[in-house]
Amino acid sequence: MKRTKAFAAGVSAAALTLTLAACGGGGDDDEGGDQGFTSGDTSSGGKNPEAVGPAPEIEGATEGGEITVLAPDPDDGIDSLDPASLWSVTDNGILQDLVLRSLTTFRQNDAGEYELVPDLATDLGTPNEDFTEWRFTLKDGIKWETGEPVTAEEVAFGIKRSFDADAFATGPGTAYSKPYFDGGADYNGPYTDGEDFPAVTTEGNDIIMKFGKPFPEMDYYSIFPAIGPVPLDAEINDYRLNALSTGPYKVEKFVPNQELVLVPNDQWDPETDPARRQLVDKYTFKFDVNPQVAAETVFSDAGSTTVVTALQGTDYNKAQSEGLQDQVLVGPQPCTSFVMPNYTKVPELEVRQALAYAYDYENIWSAGGELSGVTRANGVTDEELGFGLLPPGMAGREVWNGPFDDAPITFDPEKSKELLAEAGFEPGEYEVSFVYDASTPEGEAAAEQRQRGYEEGGFAVQKYPYTAGSLYDVWTDPDNKLYKKINLLGTAWCQDWPSAATFLPPIVETGAAYNTGQFSEASVDDEMERIRQLPVDEQAAAWGELEQTVMTDYQPVINTGYYQNIFGFGSQIGGFANDTSVGGAPDYRTIYVEQ
Amino acid sequence: MFSFLVKRILSGSLIVVLVSVMIYALFWYGPKSPALELCRRDTNNRCTPAKLVEFEDRLGYSNPIYEEYGKWAKGLVADRTIIHGTSEYDCPAPCLGISYRDKSLVTDQFKERFPVTVSLAVGASALYLLIGVTVGVLAARRRGSVADKALVASTLVFSSIPYYLVALLSFLILTLSTSVFPEAKYVPFLDDPLAWFSGLLLVWLVMGLYGATAYTRYSRGSMVEALGEDYVRTARAKGLRMRTVVTKHALRSALVPVITIFGLDVAFLLSGTVFTEKIFSLEGIGKWGIDAVNIKDLPVVQATTLVLAVSVVVMNIIVDIVYSILDPRVRLA
Amino acid sequence: MALPAGDIAVHDETADASLEPEARKKIAGRSPTRIAFDRLRKDPIAVICFAIVLLFAVIALFADQINSLVGVNTEVVRASERVNLVTLLPLDGPPNHGFDPEHPFGVAPGDGTDNFAVWTKGCQTSLFLATMAAVLSTTIGVALGLLAGFLGGIVDSIISFMIDLFLTFPFLVGALALAPIINDRWATEPEKLRDVSFWALVAILTIFGWMTVARLVRGEVLALREREFVKAARVIGVPTRRILVREMLPNLIAPIIISFSLGLPAYVSAEAGLSYLGIGIIGRESWGRTIEQATPWWEQYPQFLLAPVVGIAVLVVALNLLGDAIRDAFDPKTRR
Repeated sequence: MKRTKAFAAGVSAAALTLTLAACGGGGDDDEGGDQGFTSGDTSSGGKNPEAVGPAPEIEGATEGGEITVLAPDPDDGIDSLDPASLWSVTDNGILQDLVLRSLTTFRQNDAGEYELVPDLATDLGTPNEDFTEWRFTLKDGIKWETGEPVTAEEVAFGIKRSFDADAFATGPGTAYSKPYFDGGADYNGPYTDGEDFPAVTTEGNDIIMKFGKPFPEMDYYSIFPAIGPVPLDAEINDYRLNALSTGPYKVEKFVPNQELVLVPNDQWDPETDPARRQLVDKYTFKFDVNPQVAAETVFSDAGSTTVVTALQGTDYNKAQSEGLQDQVLVGPQPCTSFVMPNYTKVPELEVRQALAYAYDYENIWSAGGELSGVTRANGVTDEELGFGLLPPGMAGREVWNGPFDDAPITFDPEKSKELLAEAGFEPGEYEVSFVYDASTPEGEAAAEQRQRGYEEGGFAVQKYPYTAGSLYDVWTDPDNKLYKKINLLGTAWCQDWPSAATFLPPIVETGAAYNTGQFSEASVDDEMERIRQLPVDEQAAAWGELEQTVMTDYQPVINTGYYQNIFGFGSQIGGFANDTSVGGAPDYRTIYVEQ
Repeated sequence: MFSFLVKRILSGSLIVVLVSVMIYALFWYGPKSPALELCRRDTNNRCTPAKLVEFEDRLGYSNPIYEEYGKWAKGLVADRTIIHGTSEYDCPAPCLGISYRDKSLVTDQFKERFPVTVSLAVGASALYLLIGVTVGVLAARRRGSVADKALVASTLVFSSIPYYLVALLSFLILTLSTSVFPEAKYVPFLDDPLAWFSGLLLVWLVMGLYGATAYTRYSRGSMVEALGEDYVRTARAKGLRMRTVVTKHALRSALVPVITIFGLDVAFLLSGTVFTEKIFSLEGIGKWGIDAVNIKDLPVVQATTLVLAVSVVVMNIIVDIVYSILDPRVRLA
Repeated sequence: MALPAGDIAVHDETADASLEPEARKKIAGRSPTRIAFDRLRKDPIAVICFAIVLLFAVIALFADQINSLVGVNTEVVRASERVNLVTLLPLDGPPNHGFDPEHPFGVAPGDGTDNFAVWTKGCQTSLFLATMAAVLSTTIGVALGLLAGFLGGIVDSIISFMIDLFLTFPFLVGALALAPIINDRWATEPEKLRDVSFWALVAILTIFGWMTVARLVRGEVLALREREFVKAARVIGVPTRRILVREMLPNLIAPIIISFSLGLPAYVSAEAGLSYLGIGIIGRESWGRTIEQATPWWEQYPQFLLAPVVGIAVLVVALNLLGDAIRDAFDPKTRR
């Protein structure tokens, strides 16, 4: 429900049939240079260890002006500025781009692609042979907003804080610091277990990290503010309200989940920063704004310097029909949503395949208020997208359009019946049951379309309305009485960075948190373990191959659409770009006010 | 009078306590663990059963309910130290606890938000009376005429549309599309009275016009009745001007039902206006409360419940006193 | 006092006029109810409003028959047959293609359901829900208010305490906390949930709606019981029940009618507002739900939003004006 935060609040108006609540990297907002999914490549820029400050000048960019950013309901925005607890698209998008620097970061290169560049570190880090040790060197001349220099000890302290799973449970540390660092599982951060932690040490300006298992992606993980400095005297609880800036902007006012005001930080030195700029005089972020109000504002004169992080389908159409196309941008998200049959209750492969042909993709989207090919897309709108597990743009990904070369997946009731017959079921004999979000008319309408599609495809359907909160309440709770009734569940996932290692295992590994259908195949688990041990440059292709195998041999999930987000921005906003590197948010490093 | 007050205050306090216990229990014994939403939120939706137990322990849900309620209630009069997991928070009296969501003191949040809600209440309630009673009296004096029907019908049409739609469309059309009204925002009165006024003007008008319908109807109804009374005819027969009769005599008794509604409405306004605050993005008590209910932030819910309960009780007492002033035949007992 | 517009005549003017002298002769022998009805019959606004209310009642009662007569239904169709999947707007009919005789009110954007069918069914749900809630809360409110105000003493204390307690209880918190409990209990039986969620909403609206009426009536009664005619009735030993019903109640018609005719639309709106907050009726069409669904379309497809809004507004105005007319007609002090 809270698409941008990785949690679901009880009652909210804007629940999607399948919410993105599960996104590891958060959620929702994505912007892209243009409107095709295929161009939403999230990482094609690769790595650029030589990049140095200042950030390249943007053609036509002017300085000055103030920008207001509205995050519409259900995005309730930032509730903590603490680097260790940041792990959602809205939060990271804003704070990584403007306030909190870390060892590495992404920036848009000349081709409009995002490349990994050094940030606080002099380069992208030096790993040892088997990626069990990484060494980063802190640049000279980095200062806090107070004018004090940033030290390597402070970076180490910041990293150590990310191990505190209790105080910073929402942070990425639980997923990456604790499992990978040597002894990380038993270390609970400097507040509980003291600062003595041999896996994170300093040597002059160097920060040395030791890992219990190979972690070739430490340079990517270092984009998180959690892998950045925190003053040694930062309090465990209150730092989230008054975090110090190392970036081009500092916090003037912060009310959790309500408002964040940023003003330029005069201690920031552009010479040290290859990615960020200081073009705007003031940023005001407002969260949980009424969606219609946000849209009307951005299209009005009063909103000429306003940015809206997520517009609705109706707003998009309004912009199209009123000649405001220049003020919207549709961008892909590195996220995929799925229907996931319960693997024990729906054991027949043909039935799971039939379900893919009986899902009336475009009509379900339409009834749910999603625009086919604009806010949702997959193989039915563009063959190049396919129906696979991995989102477009992920390294090693190959398009997968279904198990049968002669019949690519689309809504095809006859094919569905055929498959059911192969499995030995007459039309109307096999009952599928699912739970849907009944708290909005769109949710109900989409469920009705879905039921109709399944019935045309030869299934009997039982659907259960749910209004008490997020559908994940049901899908992830085997004790829930609805869970016991249904055999179709769902899940959705966003990448943390462009590697299938952040995507496949959470969904198809036995016992994984978002493997809601309890998919479990020993051969798949073994293969994933094998890939993790492969040389780094072979992993991507191996993951891509595994995706093909899993989908063709087991069809554990049915791809119900890749997500795209619609951004709106006022007539005076220039340099608006899609920061796919954080999973999709306005790129605050390049925006400026046209003077 | 004195014994009346004592009695009302006693029964009022009892009500406040009862309501707060009821809400507490409702959360405590609801179908899902009260710690579940928070656990989900704080663990990126990875709330395992073990985590949930940990959260229940941390928030005190594994203790007996009376013990926790006792701690909370005691905080109203005495300083307390709140322990959440490994962190301690000092909470000086009157302590309403700390918000589960952002660990801030509920009392501080309240102090920040209450002025917003009070500002809304002041403007809206003034318009209720001003518009409602004026239109009602005018309609009553022209009872049965086209003017009467038109006045009544026009206020009705407005208030028959669901409120959130009225508020939303007014904001979209009058502020954003056409800029007739400045953008709705709250500026403290003492900082800049003019900005305070202009920032809330549209909000007041929407609330006032919408809410005034009830006052129009009640005051028209009782005014019609009052104008039919013998004492009014007597007054007219004495040669008093109609205007004087209406304002000095009839209005007084016609206001009795109006005052009842008004007292309650003020109390409700003071406890927050959820839709208004949500649509106009004003950070008052109502939005605070509804957001807190959604994530089961019990200390905040308790605080907003207290605001409502105390406002209702106080306003009820005031209304009864005003009754006795308006209508000398009503005894306070 | 202005002339009752009835005298200015409508279509059956001659019939009325011919009755007039006769009726006047009989004045002495007519009951108060009869007088009231005669007055109402002659008030064209009352007649028109009554006709409108009746029309809505008929629509609500015979929604299914009307729909099949018009040839529409609320069944799910494949959305792409009726709407454009990229703009979500209908392929035929409003807002872009004029009138579509197959769908008099057009079809819904997104899923293509027929708006007219949904409108009549929504009328049914909303009217039924609001009527039930208004009748129940008014009845409870009047009964308790009357007792409290007239009897005073311990009864008054208890009832007043209950009123205050319920008023003090935060409605939205209560509703938001109760709804999931109910939905959770019947979650696995969607057919029952459909009815339960409806009656639960009636119950919620009643439980949190009766106090205003009760307080109002109590306040009025407090004033009334000091009045000469009530005192007189007591002195001559009229039983309490009779005083309440014969002396008090007629004087309370004004507030009762007003609160009923205000309550009804308020409940229709409340249903819409609650469904905006996620506590709505599950599995039925309702005006509140259509309004919620249509709000984002207010600019691009205003007809979609207008249908339920106009429905509510017309109904509400008619009910209120009718209520006023009835009130006036029953008022013994109204001299004509």
